[in-house]
Amino acid sequence: MIIEISLNLYTFYQSKDKISTALSDQRSDSDIQKLLETNIDQGFRLVVEKYSTRLYWHIRRLVILHEDADDALQNTFINVWRNISNFRRESSLYTWLYAIATNEALALINKRTRNSAVSLDDLGSWFANSTEGSTWFDGDEAQLKLQNAILKLPEKQRIVFNLRYFDEMTYEEMSIVLNTSVGALKASYHHAVKKIENILTGI
Amino acid sequence: MKNNDKIPAGNPFKVPGNYFEAVTRKIISSTVENQREIKKPGFYLKMRPFLAVAASVAVLAILSYTGIKLFPPRNVSLSLSGISVEEYSETLLNDIDLLTLEEIAALPGLPQDQENQFVDKKDIIEYLMLENIDINEIHDQL
Repeated sequence: MIIEISLNLYTFYQSKDKISTALSDQRSDSDIQKLLETNIDQGFRLVVEKYSTRLYWHIRRLVILHEDADDALQNTFINVWRNISNFRRESSLYTWLYAIATNEALALINKRTRNSAVSLDDLGSWFANSTEGSTWFDGDEAQLKLQNAILKLPEKQRIVFNLRYFDEMTYEEMSIVLNTSVGALKASYHHAVKKIENILTGI
Repeated sequence: MKNNDKIPAGNPFKVPGNYFEAVTRKIISSTVENQREIKKPGFYLKMRPFLAVAASVAVLAILSYTGIKLFPPRNVSLSLSGISVEEYSETLLNDIDLLTLEEIAALPGLPQDQENQFVDKKDIIEYLMLENIDINEIHDQL
């Protein structure tokens, strides 16, 4: 009987969490920004609930490893929390968060390049020989080839490709995130797609 | 671009079970909740800087008092009380360059300040005699 009640309570709280997250997902950025002005704690909670998943995947696609993505995500939100009182209402919350997350991911990649002996240039061999690879990657051969192709892109092209292809970000939003002109971003994306297609088709 | 047939769609990466719920809680607890704890410091935390200053002053006072009690400036007090007026005057006169003073006194037309104008010559002679200065020399100078 007690176990049954405990299970019901657990299910209730889990569903409550999911409902809360779902509600925060539905909240528009302008609603969250208004709330941030009146109740910064509650507003920040909504920001974390709405964006943690999206930002995690954005970071993960750049840094590849789960542990690194986890670190970069937490650093991103700590930075957001420190600077949220300076965030201007007329700016876009979405692009501001992506800019911080991208910077955190790049900082982590640079740190890893300097300090680590691990090279992720060839994901296939790396995943085959690591616990991380076997545990946190379940893509097929085509997915592996795609990730390897993306990793061969220059850093800026890689970010542009990921933001456009996976996050479906508009060029205008991307230009705010990366502080680059829309024309340059379109050209960068075009080149990235061509390179990836060539790699995948073996040209 | 999602419809590009040459590029596979989907997410090949995985995360641990309930990762997003856990990381959300972790982020909230290290930011919002941590901030709350910082926002409400206890009485001791508020008073800590003042207590530190008070403790430093008290320690300095105790050290000074103990130092004076343990090592009183005995030599200075003994030497002052033990010196007679004669000894003191003698030492003082030895330090004064009498010759220079006499030369200055012999110079005519030196400007004298107002205070010196009221000093009688007899007083000077009496003073010099009191200090055992050779009277003949004084007469010669006068």
